[in-house]
Amino acid sequence: MSAILQVSDLRKSYAGVHALDGVSFAVEAGSVTGLIGPNGSGKSTAIDCISGFQRLDGGKVALAGADITGRPAHHIARAGLMRTFQTVRIYDRLSLRDNLAIAAQQFDPATWVDEFLRTRRYRDAVDAAEARARTLVELIGLQRYYEAEVGILSYGQKKLVALAAALMPHPKIVLLDEPVAGVNPSRIREIEVALRQLNQAGETFLIVEHNVEFITNLCHQVIVLDQGRKLAEGTAADIHTDSRVLEAYLGMTPEMAEAEMRGAA
Amino acid sequence: MTIDATYLLQLTLNGITLGLIYALIAVGLSLIFGVMEIINFAHGELLMLGAFAMAFALPVMGLLYWPALATAILAVMMVGWVIYELLLVRLRPDEFERSILVTLGLSIIIIHVMQYVFTATPRLVDTQYGFEGVEIGAIRITWTRVIGAAASLAAFGGLYAVLRHTQFGRAMRAIAQNREAALMVGIRPKVVARNAMVLAAGLCGLAGAAIAPIQLVTPYMGQFLIFKAFALVIIGGLGNIPGAIVAAVGLGLIENWIGGFFEIAWQEASVFVIMIVVLFVRPDGLFKRGGMRIG
Amino acid sequence: MKLAALTAALVAALAVAALPLLTTSNYIIGIGVSALIFTVAAAALNLIYGFTGLLSFAQLGFWGIGGYASALTVVTFGGSFWWGLVWAALINAVIALAVGYPTLRTNRHAFVIVTLTFALLVTLIARDWVDLTRGPLGIPNLPPPQAFGHRFDTTGQFYWIAWAFAVAMLGFLYALCSSRIGRTLVAIKQNEPLVRAQGISPMPYKLASFALSAAITGAAGGVYSFHLGIIDPLFLDFYYMQTFLIIVIIGGAGSFWGVIVSGIALSALPEALRFSADFRMIIYGVILVVAMFVMPSGVAGWLRERKIARLRRSLGEALR
Repeated sequence: MSAILQVSDLRKSYAGVHALDGVSFAVEAGSVTGLIGPNGSGKSTAIDCISGFQRLDGGKVALAGADITGRPAHHIARAGLMRTFQTVRIYDRLSLRDNLAIAAQQFDPATWVDEFLRTRRYRDAVDAAEARARTLVELIGLQRYYEAEVGILSYGQKKLVALAAALMPHPKIVLLDEPVAGVNPSRIREIEVALRQLNQAGETFLIVEHNVEFITNLCHQVIVLDQGRKLAEGTAADIHTDSRVLEAYLGMTPEMAEAEMRGAA
Repeated sequence: MTIDATYLLQLTLNGITLGLIYALIAVGLSLIFGVMEIINFAHGELLMLGAFAMAFALPVMGLLYWPALATAILAVMMVGWVIYELLLVRLRPDEFERSILVTLGLSIIIIHVMQYVFTATPRLVDTQYGFEGVEIGAIRITWTRVIGAAASLAAFGGLYAVLRHTQFGRAMRAIAQNREAALMVGIRPKVVARNAMVLAAGLCGLAGAAIAPIQLVTPYMGQFLIFKAFALVIIGGLGNIPGAIVAAVGLGLIENWIGGFFEIAWQEASVFVIMIVVLFVRPDGLFKRGGMRIG
Repeated sequence: MKLAALTAALVAALAVAALPLLTTSNYIIGIGVSALIFTVAAAALNLIYGFTGLLSFAQLGFWGIGGYASALTVVTFGGSFWWGLVWAALINAVIALAVGYPTLRTNRHAFVIVTLTFALLVTLIARDWVDLTRGPLGIPNLPPPQAFGHRFDTTGQFYWIAWAFAVAMLGFLYALCSSRIGRTLVAIKQNEPLVRAQGISPMPYKLASFALSAAITGAAGGVYSFHLGIIDPLFLDFYYMQTFLIIVIIGGAGSFWGVIVSGIALSALPEALRFSADFRMIIYGVILVVAMFVMPSGVAGWLRERKIARLRRSLGEALR
């Protein structure tokens, strides 16, 4: 397995605060990697910088070996890095079908000329996108809403739509920015299951989350940030017992944590 | 073209007085934008109403300037209050285009009602000072202009004091700088917005009343001034009050200098071109976008 | 479903074409010409505002430039009416690109204000650049269009030119709005960051929309100036901008058919309401204000909301 995403020495500050202070990590192809950390640790900034929505002050980002540092967001997306947003972003007044079609639009070879003349190239592209859309819609269980305006869906369902849209163009990696924040518990399970299925089918994910249980259940590898720096890296189990992580998150030492748990028992 | 010093000085003084009038309008717009994040298309009409109020109050008060001015200002403040409570209070902060269209509709209504009732005939407004003025060397300025400028400066001084030193002023600045934080601290946006509107209306009313003796009063007079004021608000930095004042006075000066030395026909057009260019080069304004920075 | 709708539209278009055969009143036919041309201009505004989400007051400027460009082409440069329309479209497209490129890179506040200032600038130029535009007197006595030796010198015959023009422009806009490009514009309006995250650069789309809307509005201005027979600075009266805006808002910004129906209806209405000019404007203003609160998405939007509500209810029931 090789690293599909490699970030080195990311630096970003605003108003004198170092949001990112030399962060480096790699995401293996085919893995589900978690990026966690307390508030202000720089997780969301990292996602924004990697995906081109904010400018880095320093550092490099490489996608499948190619340097994408400093490129505009739409270039990075076309290179194969897709992302979702913390506050869910979908086209509220378009149908689920249109939402997914737009997500695939930029990635097929048909131009407006092809569309106007209804060439073979256009029709094939549309059929391929349609097939992919149907597969994804079934996976997220929203077949019934295929022609419906997505604005009527619940928040959790909208997050699933955003996930499906991000997967439409067969991306190399998908960055998920707090995919289960604000979602009710039953729906969280659904999203977890969907992600696991997608990963088993070969998709790679980098997930930023606060929900530690979600991360633990899903991720092979977890990276912990604190105050703009990488604090620890390892499997979920490693992270749970890492004293630095415990201190950063909970302000405790391992002894105190154990005492807590014994006290609760 | 020889540059006559007295001529230049005359132009400069005229430019400053004009600029102060622009500033009264622009500051009001900036205040409204800072607190409510909307652009008030009907702002020019508030000025026009101030001018009409002055035109009607003066004869009633025996041509006495100051009581008529006060009446005009109060009248327009009341109109501003009504406009807020009936319409603007229903607009949310992120509805920029909708606010433009609503206030545009309001502007159309006000202009045409005034035109219907009072006709478009321009009115000449006379005050106790008539056309008398003061002479400084070879330069002559009418009292009405001097007083207009002085009143404007007084208004800005007052505004500064209010924004800096009163509870109500601080609340306005808080909302302009960080709406969410202000809400969390318990500042009530509707109250602050209403106050900002009334204050802005007052400034406009003052501008209208001050202009009334200087130029002809017609229902359309606000329109000519307002479009420049919009650009001034952006050039000065949205919500940035000192910025708006600087931009406004700058515009008044540029207009008078260009008008004084070149054909009057090009004066307005060149001013618009300059504004467009500035907006291209510095779309966020020449100064920083203000959270109603005072100093 | 779509075929049925298009057939209906075709039938309606043919019915509209028949107007000069149904009446001999030049007055009524003149209203018909205005209705057709205003509808095209409103549809162009709908493209940039309703579909792309950019409120552009520059349309008034393009309308005026188009009118003057056509008039000057015929009167000063000896070209034909048809060439006048072509120039009206091309000149405005170029200007729109030149003005649009720097402005669209800024924020939406600056965009609105710059387009407004632009329109006012055009008004001033029409009035003051006497060498070019003949100033306040304008250019009177615009000759009727000619083609293949035939002069379209009656109102009825001009009506058919306006009709053909409207069908062509609206047909083009329909094709555009129902294509992927149209869908992308709608996406940009609804959620621009998402569009970027999906690999699409919004700028070329916004520029294209602005330039096309400018070209179409300019051509419409060209046709209208010849309908009036004269062009002068009054052609740039803010009244036209207000009319286009009201048509779009009542019909429903972003609704193709809504704006067309609204355009035809609202053009005929002021003539039916024979009030004084001021009173008519007051009504316009009231409509604008009320519509913004009661029906911000126009009639079409209101109909759509009801449809969505029904869909929601039926889906909700199906889940039980």
